[in-house]
Amino acid sequence: VTKKTIQYDFSLKQSPERVWKALTTPEQIARWLMPNDFVPKLGHKFTFKREPMPQLKFDGISHCEVIELEPPAKLAYTFVGGPLNTVIRFRLEPEGQGTHLYFEHSGFDADDPIQMFSFQAMGQGWSQLGKNLESLVAADSANPR
Amino acid sequence: MPTDVFKAIADPTRRRILDLLAHSERAAGELVKPFHMSQPAVSQHLKVLRKAGLVTERRVGRERRYRLNARPLKKVAGWVSHYEQFWGDRLEALKKYLDEEEP
Repeated sequence: VTKKTIQYDFSLKQSPERVWKALTTPEQIARWLMPNDFVPKLGHKFTFKREPMPQLKFDGISHCEVIELEPPAKLAYTFVGGPLNTVIRFRLEPEGQGTHLYFEHSGFDADDPIQMFSFQAMGQGWSQLGKNLESLVAADSANPR
Repeated sequence: MPTDVFKAIADPTRRRILDLLAHSERAAGELVKPFHMSQPAVSQHLKVLRKAGLVTERRVGRERRYRLNARPLKKVAGWVSHYEQFWGDRLEALKKYLDEEEP
């Protein structure tokens, strides 16, 4: 089984302590990510809620469990829902006055077409498949029967 | 069903068949040549594509001809754009939130 990972990393002006709060306070998480009942406690089980996506067999609820908690440096939780059984990881490194944030969403099953679609769709930009689809759709529209 | 479409386009050979059909209608024989595959193997792929509604078949004399029906793909493309950049957007929102809020 091949597993795929989405990765981002970028600089923030704010200190690791400030960024940590945004990542681990339920009200603050809800402001930039999704409604949740997160508690910064190892082993805590919580959910993220978003709109259901029946096409992806996803009821909109992601079931999570905190599996890594090292303030203000490391945070990880499982992210399970619909076709996904994945892990989300944040790593914070001091960078001058600010923070370098490393984000990782891993465990997408490359052998499962629906999961691969989620992976490609949630990752950076259009995948090759997305591009192919675009050109296919364009070709078909230009060629009505 | 969308699941059939996902499965159909998950296979690289079937995606190449769709690419070929995107340009024009093709006879079954024309689809065998580029793939170095047997006629039955190509027929099997075409069957999967037909079941997913991505390809239509018609007979012209003794020949079977295939053409693309991209309508199911449009649905899938819609999902891609819906999900596209999910994390990119969320992380951008995190940056914005941090910049706008009091510490």
